[in-house]
Amino acid sequence: MIPHLLSFLTFHPLVGSVVIALLPNSQKEAFKWIAVFFCACQVVVSAVVYYFFSTQTADFQMVEKADWITLSMGSLGTVSIDFILGVDGISLPLIMLSSVVMMVGVFSSFSIAKREKAYYSLYLLLTTSIMGCFLALDFFLFFLFFEFMLLPMYFLIGLWGGPRREYASIKFFLYTLVGSLLILIVMIGLYISVIDPYESELAKTMVHTFDLRLMTDGRNYLPDSILTPSGEITLLGVPSRMLAFWLLFIGFAIKLPIVPLHTWLPDAHVEAPTPVSVVLAGVLLKIGGYGLLRIAYPIFPDAAAEYAFTLAILGVISIVYGGFNALAQNDLKKMIAYSSVSHMGFVVLGIASLTAEGLNGAVYQMVSHGILSSLLFLLVGVLYDRTHNRLIDNYRGLISYMPLYTIITGITFFASLGLPGFSGFIGELFTLMGGFQSDRLPVWLTALGTLGIILAAAYFLWTFQRMFFGKPWAKNPTELPFLSDLNRLEKWMLIPLVLMSFALGIFPGWLFSLSDKTVSHLLKIFE
Amino acid sequence: MPDICRKGFASTRMSLYLILLLVFPFLGFIGLFSFRKRANNWAGYIGIALTLMGLGGSLVMFNQALNQSQVYLVEWFSMNGKPIMLSFLVDNQTLMMLVVVHLVAVLVQLFSISYLHDEPARWRYFAFLQLFVFSMLGIVLAGSLLLMYVFWELVGLSSYLLIGFWYERPRAVWAAKKAFLLNRIGDAGFLIGILLVFWQFGTTELSVLTHQNGIISEDSSILFTVIGVCLFCGAIGKSAQFPLSDWLPDAMEGPTPVSALIHAATMVAAGIFLLGRIHPFLTPDALIVVAIIGTITMFLGAYKAIFQTDIKKLLAYSTVSQLGLMVMGMGVGAKEAALFHLLTHAFFKAGLFLCAGIIIHAVHTQDTRQMGGLRQKMPVTFWAYTICAAALAGLPFFSGFLSKDAILIGAFEWAKHTGGIAFVIPVVGLISAGLTAFYVIRQWKQVFFGENQGGYRHEQIVHDADSFMKVPVILLAILSFFIWFSFNPADAAHGWFFCIFPVEAAERGHGMVEILSVLVVAIGLLGGFYSTAMGPLPSLITLLQGIHDVIEKLFVSLFGKIRNGLKWLNEHADETDRHVFLIAPLQKIAYWTYRMDRRMIDVMVNGVGYVTVIGAHAIGRFDKLVVDGAVNALAWLAGFVGNRIRNLQNGRVQSYFVVMLLGVLLMILLFF
Repeated sequence: MIPHLLSFLTFHPLVGSVVIALLPNSQKEAFKWIAVFFCACQVVVSAVVYYFFSTQTADFQMVEKADWITLSMGSLGTVSIDFILGVDGISLPLIMLSSVVMMVGVFSSFSIAKREKAYYSLYLLLTTSIMGCFLALDFFLFFLFFEFMLLPMYFLIGLWGGPRREYASIKFFLYTLVGSLLILIVMIGLYISVIDPYESELAKTMVHTFDLRLMTDGRNYLPDSILTPSGEITLLGVPSRMLAFWLLFIGFAIKLPIVPLHTWLPDAHVEAPTPVSVVLAGVLLKIGGYGLLRIAYPIFPDAAAEYAFTLAILGVISIVYGGFNALAQNDLKKMIAYSSVSHMGFVVLGIASLTAEGLNGAVYQMVSHGILSSLLFLLVGVLYDRTHNRLIDNYRGLISYMPLYTIITGITFFASLGLPGFSGFIGELFTLMGGFQSDRLPVWLTALGTLGIILAAAYFLWTFQRMFFGKPWAKNPTELPFLSDLNRLEKWMLIPLVLMSFALGIFPGWLFSLSDKTVSHLLKIFE
Repeated sequence: MPDICRKGFASTRMSLYLILLLVFPFLGFIGLFSFRKRANNWAGYIGIALTLMGLGGSLVMFNQALNQSQVYLVEWFSMNGKPIMLSFLVDNQTLMMLVVVHLVAVLVQLFSISYLHDEPARWRYFAFLQLFVFSMLGIVLAGSLLLMYVFWELVGLSSYLLIGFWYERPRAVWAAKKAFLLNRIGDAGFLIGILLVFWQFGTTELSVLTHQNGIISEDSSILFTVIGVCLFCGAIGKSAQFPLSDWLPDAMEGPTPVSALIHAATMVAAGIFLLGRIHPFLTPDALIVVAIIGTITMFLGAYKAIFQTDIKKLLAYSTVSQLGLMVMGMGVGAKEAALFHLLTHAFFKAGLFLCAGIIIHAVHTQDTRQMGGLRQKMPVTFWAYTICAAALAGLPFFSGFLSKDAILIGAFEWAKHTGGIAFVIPVVGLISAGLTAFYVIRQWKQVFFGENQGGYRHEQIVHDADSFMKVPVILLAILSFFIWFSFNPADAAHGWFFCIFPVEAAERGHGMVEILSVLVVAIGLLGGFYSTAMGPLPSLITLLQGIHDVIEKLFVSLFGKIRNGLKWLNEHADETDRHVFLIAPLQKIAYWTYRMDRRMIDVMVNGVGYVTVIGAHAIGRFDKLVVDGAVNALAWLAGFVGNRIRNLQNGRVQSYFVVMLLGVLLMILLFF
């Protein structure tokens, strides 16, 4: 096994970011290739991580631990912040997903034509913080990466975005910041409640820790602390642990996003440039789901079990509400943004079910949605690059000008609406299956969730019919000469993703085998 | 029922056949699709060759595996220690469908070679047909509900692609979308049913469900009824049952051979096939629902067919009605009879559609009112059409008579058993049979007799098609005779079909029912034949038309507003559709949710933003005026005081002395 593999995976894009920042602007052409190199490197390294990963255990693997900050606070004990990275069956699929999506995103960034230096530098910075977020096992470290994602995202939307980019980027920033604030509160609460028993023994004093692994064990909580599992401590009349769970949940729900905390998403997507939309939908939304699985659920299983029904309702509302909203859109990108809300609702439903099917399905759905939403946004980008226009009503019969584009869009639309054979189907199937299996959720609720697959068919096929079929026509006829079929670069971005979705749809067992053990282990605490 | 033999996948030669059956059409699809235009000239032949191989394979299987149910299992993956299996089930029902699908597919492809000979995208057409064959075979071979659902959706996809084959026609694409959507609604129910089955039994494997869990049929608790009805939803969608039947007539926008293969013989029969599979574990209550839905569909289909003047639409409504008959048969427990009707219907209805294709090809119109006098010009088509139509109408000596009467007998027996109001169902069945005879003969007369009504110009050469198109039609017509199914033209009970699908009920061949049905059909035929002949006289048809119009008008005036708002399903509809009940609310909800998003949630978010900004400004002002003011005031004060006090330190010894003196005085005063 290679030492410090995960650190390397996380931090090497940072090197690229610095290199790009230091190079003079005259080396403009080199920037994108440096970014491609580092992203490719990341794909390779995550493949290496996959190679060394064992599916036989639920433990964290390749763990790296180093003391980072240790501060003695006298009678208050010792502050200990560690640098811990590790990978398990929930994070590995998401790591591989993000490395692929970031890679595709770089290629799609080739159309960015202003301030390339800042762009690629920020992009690689974003890559580092995403990886760090998925790998960190110390709450403080996680939070740091989580916050750090905001900075590049804010600029990527705010500087390279569309006409309303300032509004969108500030909205995105503030929304997420509010979420982080809630998470921060819980983090501090947890921190003062949890001690590291081993270190405490050594140091003969209370060593407080941010280690997520220690936080999942009830024995590590101080008996009278605010979040102690046994205590009946209440805040504002609510048991403190329940409150903490909800704060965490809302924090991650904003990221996910869950209705009614989702309105930043359509705006951010509409204004963001194509590659940023791809990264946003493909990876960043998954951090919400990942946060639930990594932090909220293992640390507060009691609250998670108690509120399973409420969470599932929120999930189903997202599915249905997002679907209806997608049906009402005329902007192609907005339609896809709302379809993301709908599809991420399945993730919440799967997680809330607290069954093996549901949780595995949720992880699967995250990966599947990562691939498919990347594809969808790339496809919008193809049209937008040519005409700077993406209103559904402005086009008819695109198939005559762009046959290959139409075929790939067709495949992607059908894959997204849950056609068997593609990954979307498996994700929806297993999250719904989890919903039905769960003894915490009523049958009617999950049944209501299936409305989502009808709506998905409606909005995707209606769009497909309106834009691609019929006699070729564009509202602005001067655009027609620009409607050329996919170029080589676009083919290289789109086709591998289509094949990935197909492969996952035919062999879902590959992905399930990664997450299965970890999920079973996680579920043990709910029994 | 023979014991089910469960096998691992790789163990037998049978599983090889199984794989090949699925792999050939799939490779055909991929191959034809990737060769694109270059495949145009030989795409049809490749398709036929592949399907012929499949036909050969299925005949071999028929020969070897008849009367033994076999399950082939292969592990797909496992989760939480539970394996998820892909299973294939081969029993008599499978074998029958295999042969039907392949046979009709071969004939339709043969027909298509000539029918689409100047279509520039033939490769796409034949590729999609292969995709269809692949997915249809998947449904037929699937041994678990889950796997069946997978192929079920793929069939929906291929149907979508083929209906929308002429994608430049807005109506065709619209119809394709509509078909997929209405199917999806049914499929969502189907999926719920499957997941409920999985939840209850931990498996969706048909052999396990029907065998070990005999409990299901005995235990008629609400849940099992719900499961049954949910599963039946799949059939409602695919087999165009009420209330999701509207897509089938619109699906006629696709090429006519497609209508013959998919929308008459095979895909729409998938719902019947599904019912045949799940029949053993449907509860009596669920069966009643099935029977009622089937009856409504049967009647409505036949009733609407009367008003059709489009040659294909009439056949489509007739298909809806016949599917209703089969579903009703399933509902009343005459499962074998329903499957039998599926078989006979596949041949004669495919034959009728192909005949219609030849006619449309020749006269370039679909309106039967403009046809006429085609009998002499197209004798082969005329005879083929006549034979198939006779089978559809249910005349003795034709296959349709045997199967339809088998269902009606079953229905009457069931009604006798249930008693009372249950007789409505077989009686409506009889009436629908009469209506069927009525519209069939009317169309037959309009198309083939009389004079040319202007649909084709006289100088235009209208003649029979070439043999690519004739051969399939002739074969299908021959298959519509009784002799292939039973040597006794009046009763199929001793034919081969009921030998391989044995029926338990001993009482067969009720003379009464058959006489009744012949009588009703005769009345229908007479009425139909003379209804056009009577010309301006107020006949039954005009009366019915009047009632129909009134209802439609009422409907439009009541729901017209909704219809106008319902752009996305109704944009190309040319008749009032019932689906406004189902779909109209969706559009409205979508509109309102988006308004809610913009007007409520976003307004709130922005409001919070504004309030924060305003608050920030207020605080800023406060900061500037009060906090800063205080600071400034302090600074000013310090300066002021400093200025004043500076005077004390003026460097003159006299004033220091005065101050010191004052200080000493002060101390004396204070301390003493």
